[in-house]
Amino acid sequence: MNTFAALLTSEQIVRIHEASLEILENVGLLVRNAQAKEYLAKHGCRVDAEIIKFPRQVVEAARAAFPPTFTFYGREPKYDRTLPRDRPVIVTGSSAPNMLDPVTGKERRAYADDIARIARLIHELPGYDVFSISTLAEDAPLDRFTVTRLYPALKNCLKPIRCSALNPTDAAQALQLGALVAGSDAAYRERPFITHHYCPIVSPLTFDFDSTEMLIYFAEQGLPSFGSVVPNGGMSAPLTLLGTLTQGNAEFLAWTTLIQMIRPGTPIIYSSLPTIADMRRGAYSPGAIESGMLVMGMAQMAHFYNVPNGGYIGLTNSKINDAQSGYESGMSNVGALLAGADMFNLGGLLDALMCFDFAKAVIDDDIARMLKRMQRGFEFGEENFAFDDIAATGPGGMFIDRPRTYALMKETMYLSDIADRDARNRWQKQGALDTQARALKRVREILMSDQPSFISPDVDARIRAAFADLPAGECVPPKEWK
Amino acid sequence: MTHDEILKGLFDNTILGKAVLVKELTQQGLDATLEPTEMLYKALLPALQEVGRRFELGDFFVPEMLLSAKAMQGALTLLRPLLAAKGDKSLGKYVMGTVKGDVHDIGKNLCNIMLEGAGFEVIDLGVNTSPEKFVDAVQKHQPDIVGMSAFLTTTMPMFKVTIEALKKAGLRDKVRVMVGGAPVTAQYAELAGADAYCPDASSTARKAKELIGATGAAPVGALADAVKAVEQMVSVAEPENK
Repeated sequence: MNTFAALLTSEQIVRIHEASLEILENVGLLVRNAQAKEYLAKHGCRVDAEIIKFPRQVVEAARAAFPPTFTFYGREPKYDRTLPRDRPVIVTGSSAPNMLDPVTGKERRAYADDIARIARLIHELPGYDVFSISTLAEDAPLDRFTVTRLYPALKNCLKPIRCSALNPTDAAQALQLGALVAGSDAAYRERPFITHHYCPIVSPLTFDFDSTEMLIYFAEQGLPSFGSVVPNGGMSAPLTLLGTLTQGNAEFLAWTTLIQMIRPGTPIIYSSLPTIADMRRGAYSPGAIESGMLVMGMAQMAHFYNVPNGGYIGLTNSKINDAQSGYESGMSNVGALLAGADMFNLGGLLDALMCFDFAKAVIDDDIARMLKRMQRGFEFGEENFAFDDIAATGPGGMFIDRPRTYALMKETMYLSDIADRDARNRWQKQGALDTQARALKRVREILMSDQPSFISPDVDARIRAAFADLPAGECVPPKEWK
Repeated sequence: MTHDEILKGLFDNTILGKAVLVKELTQQGLDATLEPTEMLYKALLPALQEVGRRFELGDFFVPEMLLSAKAMQGALTLLRPLLAAKGDKSLGKYVMGTVKGDVHDIGKNLCNIMLEGAGFEVIDLGVNTSPEKFVDAVQKHQPDIVGMSAFLTTTMPMFKVTIEALKKAGLRDKVRVMVGGAPVTAQYAELAGADAYCPDASSTARKAKELIGATGAAPVGALADAVKAVEQMVSVAEPENK
């Protein structure tokens, strides 16, 4: 697939870029973080009391340093994913405040052993490329916020991990844990399998304190991190799609300009979670089709800048795995794929990012694999016309016993084991299960099988010596399942 | 303008959310010796009831509700001192802030509007408020309630840290603590050691009044009625996830 769907013409894209530069130059950003203010001022931005204004040439200079790729490192090279080459790269949605308990179905806070189970599920589900840690750990000891989340994740998932250390102390612990797992600090920096993510800009047009500090910290260290822009039309951005897109684009240019000042050539992602607020009741609406449209627009802007792109897409406002959850996730995802989004933070969240659900993670894996199938496209080539089959079979014949059919019967089609395609009587005989029930069955199969830790006992002993108070974070199935 | 024309103007323009006009008309009413209570009972309150009715029907959207509430507030800034002179008083003091590490404030600001509408004196500490700053403000202002807002799952732990700081300063039992914000739940508020959690701005005003009810008397009379009407109106119009 090498052509992309477009909601904007190339003239319109240039105009949006120009409008973004006008916003940066004339309105500017409120910069709360002192270090960011210093960097920006030193590199040619104008300080106007509390507001920093970005002259066009400053932004364009930073833009010239944007690298075209971003790599997520896994624990082993086979898990590495580079944007945009490996698109679509599928990532879980992260840091939900709550989760649905897999046994009771009730919403509750999450703990380190929940993260262990989720990590194992994401490791096993083939559609996912990156595990962005889905929840917080309520049992984290004071001042062990991030390592308590990372430890069970690293124990149970070899895919690249994404999380968000809170401050330099918290980040130093994360680096220490990374070094312990990798064998040394140098080995970790060679293959930094933890990527940190932030929302440095609070819309409208405000650099915050802590997320900005952390983005600067990782840029200085040369370790992988990136930011997302999160404009909410009607609340923190204008209530037009074009206004929200353009303000978000200006915000993207602002944080990436800052990062390129710190270390030119730092890999970035044009990542976003753009939404429109539902003005009937003000609801935050990432499940709305307009979110998908905004991501499509941002993909076009990212292509204009020649940077990888993506973000939170395929989310739902539904509280359960019902038709709404399916069509909201499905429609935006397909739109974004066709428009050229590279990275999809789509996995496992219900209720507008409020709640992780195991079954939803499995359903989203199915969606992810369908997206990957679509990405494969028609595999255009003379061989695939299958002229010989058509000629040999002739009018009125049948293709089912052709050698090619046998050879490709597991390949041409993505064979979902979550979507039901059986005849009604067979479906009834098998318990007449709905999608939710089939997905939860898959969760159970994965979590009930033997799951050895991906951290060896001697490394684990060293980790426990450094962080004695960490919760165990073992992947054990809920005791009710035994 | 006759008294009736002023009252009709107040009614119509409060529904339309025309704040400047409503304030002007309120002043004109006062200049024309209209009783504050008459303006409240014959124009402003019925207008808000009408807005509430239209919202229930799905006819009015959030921005319309907020504009009407703001128009009403404008009128109240003129009327409140006069009503207060007749025996009404502020409900209580409310210290409010977004916790350390967090600069999201749309939800907090909506809460402030509702609280002020409900008759509280709000002392807003702004965003990125450190536990020390909360402690200082509680010492200085001696509020009835301190409210904390967090929008990020990563800044929610500051509730507990701030509450611990209040304890350490010996202030915890002198003040009620309320928390809220998009990712916050009642269960989390309890874990953090707060007295109350509110999912949205209008319930913040309601809950704050409840808490105050336990320690002090609510005002009576015209202002209380006005306040109740603003509250009722906005309680249905609340942005749900901010």
